[in-house]
Amino acid sequence: MTSSVSRPIDAAFVASKKLAPDIVSVWLEARSVAARIQPGQFVQVRVGPDEELFLRRPFSVAQQQRDRIRIVFRTVGRGTATLSLTRRGDNWNLLGPLGKPAPQFNNREIVLVGGGIGIAPLLFLAERVCRNNRVHAILGARNRQELVLHPEFRKIRVKLNLCTEDGSLGKRGLVTDILQALICSLQSAVAPVVFACGPRPMLQRVKELTRGLESYAFWEERMGCGTGICYGCAVKRDDGKGYLRLCQEGPVLRMSDIEI
Amino acid sequence: MSQEVRIGKVTFQNPILLASGTFGFGLEFPQVVRRMGGIIGKAITLKPRAGNPPPRIWEVPGGILNSVGLENPGVSEFVHSVLPRMTFGKAHVVVNVAGSTVGEYAEIIRRMDSDRIAGFELNVSCPNVRQGCIAFGQNPQTVARIVRSCRRTTSKLLITKLTANFVDPLLTARAAEQEGSDAVTLINAVSALALDAQGLPALGAGTGGLSGPAIKPLALYCVRRVAEGVKIPVIGCGGITCGLDVQEFMLAGARMVQIGSINLIDPFSGLRILAELRREESSPEKERGAS
Repeated sequence: MTSSVSRPIDAAFVASKKLAPDIVSVWLEARSVAARIQPGQFVQVRVGPDEELFLRRPFSVAQQQRDRIRIVFRTVGRGTATLSLTRRGDNWNLLGPLGKPAPQFNNREIVLVGGGIGIAPLLFLAERVCRNNRVHAILGARNRQELVLHPEFRKIRVKLNLCTEDGSLGKRGLVTDILQALICSLQSAVAPVVFACGPRPMLQRVKELTRGLESYAFWEERMGCGTGICYGCAVKRDDGKGYLRLCQEGPVLRMSDIEI
Repeated sequence: MSQEVRIGKVTFQNPILLASGTFGFGLEFPQVVRRMGGIIGKAITLKPRAGNPPPRIWEVPGGILNSVGLENPGVSEFVHSVLPRMTFGKAHVVVNVAGSTVGEYAEIIRRMDSDRIAGFELNVSCPNVRQGCIAFGQNPQTVARIVRSCRRTTSKLLITKLTANFVDPLLTARAAEQEGSDAVTLINAVSALALDAQGLPALGAGTGGLSGPAIKPLALYCVRRVAEGVKIPVIGCGGITCGLDVQEFMLAGARMVQIGSINLIDPFSGLRILAELRREESSPEKERGAS
């Protein structure tokens, strides 16, 4: 089980854009990571050369194009705030790709459910799975401003459903309301596969709604190494038999396997 | 120039060990382990332990709080399915042993009679379990009883990993030395508390152990204090991130060092630190920054 993790690399910052007041999109030139990364996997980013912000920050990848990867994140603390100020000429020190790729499917009905910043890793997944599956994407956020990346989803072959809690874009309501209706309406002979990424209450509801279906969560937990050696990112198993290591078994986990 | 170091009956190819709990059992990065003096795997307990609820890790300025809670498969499963895979060439395997009773330490060691194991590190200092470990390590008499029973059980290398928490480590180090410990490790993570934005304990288990550069000055202090007061070698541990840090610990009196938290930032840190140490040892001009 020797890890295929390579040494960290310095990825050149290419461009960044503010998508919402506290949501930033960054493109990085990272050939070795871009060549290998699969939907579901993540990278660990060093914030500074000094040791004050000691741990790396784990980020999922929102898009991969040729030698570049795109990371879309919300600024929630000092680390992400520092990273949001990156300029041309700066590098991001990356460790990755880490974690397991999301499971792959062919000729299936795939439903992607993204809430808030949870939309980001689903874009990368959507771009890949739409090649050989029928894909529905249900994306939601608190308001129009925070419903990011939907223009990118419009460029690929997915049936798009948008919603906001205040009704400023798409339907008024929650992604899980749309999911419930969609599951009932799907007439496919083969059951759909659901991937969800978003806040914990949303994932809890998705788990309830998809009982009996194959459903996966893009899960988050406070993380140490990202490489399996520190046992920091524990996720409670649903069968009561202890914990999973998110960075090894995940970050995309079968919903029935974990306590949400 | 040879970097070999001898402790007890064991010769290590260089003075750098991977600290317990910070590198799994070495199976993810064997190419790194092989180049080190050795690896001290995750602590092994008598029975399997699921570990503590998340969050298990929390960043603080210059360091980390962790409360993994000694998640491990227990001694039987370890011997059966993990130990056989721990083959790392010239790098030695040292097993960290954690008991919830005084008697358990020797009991665990008795069940690990394997040539793959160069020695044992007695964990009387983990701050993240309800019973044993740090509670034992704060009492010199208890440390003495544990070391004595383990010394009777094995002729292999015996290291005692001590705490600096609410105890003078010189007293516990002397107790360990008197009962036949071949070396002492100083220091384990220090008991600490972090609160989240709501003012509640940030870690799932409530409190945790502070490690990383934030504790380096404390570790250096303990190493010097103990190295001046015992004859057995001291293994320094606490916030080492570079070759210069290793040299500082050596100057403070350490014979070997362990690197821990930095492995979480880069699992290849051991290789870098080893290279830096070689470079610094071969250059006459040493520059040591204030730290």
